[in-house]
Amino acid sequence: MIVCLAVVGHQNNPLYIQSFTEADDALKLHHIVHCSLDVVDERVNNPKKSGPTINEAFLGLLYPTENYKVYGYLTNTKVKFILVTTDLDVRDADVRNFFRRFHAAYVDAVTNPFHVPGKKITSKIFAERVSTMVKSFGLSPAS
Amino acid sequence: MVREVAESCVESLMAEIVSSYCKGVYANKPELAAPRIEAIGFQVGHRLSERYTMDRPRFTDHLEAIKFICKDFWSDLFKKQIDNLKTNHRGTFVLQDNRFRWLAHMSVDPSLVTSGSIQDPSAMAENEAAQATGLHLYFPCGIIRGALSNLGIPCAVSADISNLPACSFVVRIKV
Repeated sequence: MIVCLAVVGHQNNPLYIQSFTEADDALKLHHIVHCSLDVVDERVNNPKKSGPTINEAFLGLLYPTENYKVYGYLTNTKVKFILVTTDLDVRDADVRNFFRRFHAAYVDAVTNPFHVPGKKITSKIFAERVSTMVKSFGLSPAS
Repeated sequence: MVREVAESCVESLMAEIVSSYCKGVYANKPELAAPRIEAIGFQVGHRLSERYTMDRPRFTDHLEAIKFICKDFWSDLFKKQIDNLKTNHRGTFVLQDNRFRWLAHMSVDPSLVTSGSIQDPSAMAENEAAQATGLHLYFPCGIIRGALSNLGIPCAVSADISNLPACSFVVRIKV
């Protein structure tokens, strides 16, 4: 189950951060997202030679914490998507798929002429689309 | 859901932007119209680059980004690629389009443009015609600048219209 999604701009400014569970402390999730930004920078600047190509948008599992897994995705415009999930057996392909649809929703939100680049995304339609995607992501690994 | 618009609408809109900004909004200060139009182009290019870089792998250097502009970005916008790309390898690129789509249907009649001065009518008329057409290129310059700045490359873009309908865009990357 996805507990937190974040969109971070190229100056590491948060553009959208949303947690999907009431139980956990939102601040702790924000902190996890913030720490993962460093991992993203490290992955991009020091590509592992045996790892995936340095040019791919999907960065994969950034780091596992005690209860969570954190996945990262970096677009061409240096915008980072961070996904925090509690699932223990989430498939790589599912996460890639999710990021692709999330990217499409992000592009639609940003091409809104009333959106100011660099400021937070305030579109309700974007929030609804994202929450629909999060609900359907949680359901697919289940029966 | 993809909505389509007739291309003639887009061309008419571009022409009307230039006309209304130069003669309407900034009628008393026509030199302010150009930066305003370029700024609008910047916002448009910024957003377009988000959409058109969506499914592509990341660019490794400036040249890759410029090549993206010349090939994929230009063909998404104008259904053709840039015809010629030149660089001095020190941060200046010249993108040449031999038949710029938004200018293709514009004809400038030199005899109508000049206001009747006798001194050197053909040269002056050509100059005024070139200036009038040059105003229409601020928007595409802004688009290129917006797209490149969203890819992390701050630059300055200017257009060169020495021989229409071919036009060149000069991109100078700020270090």
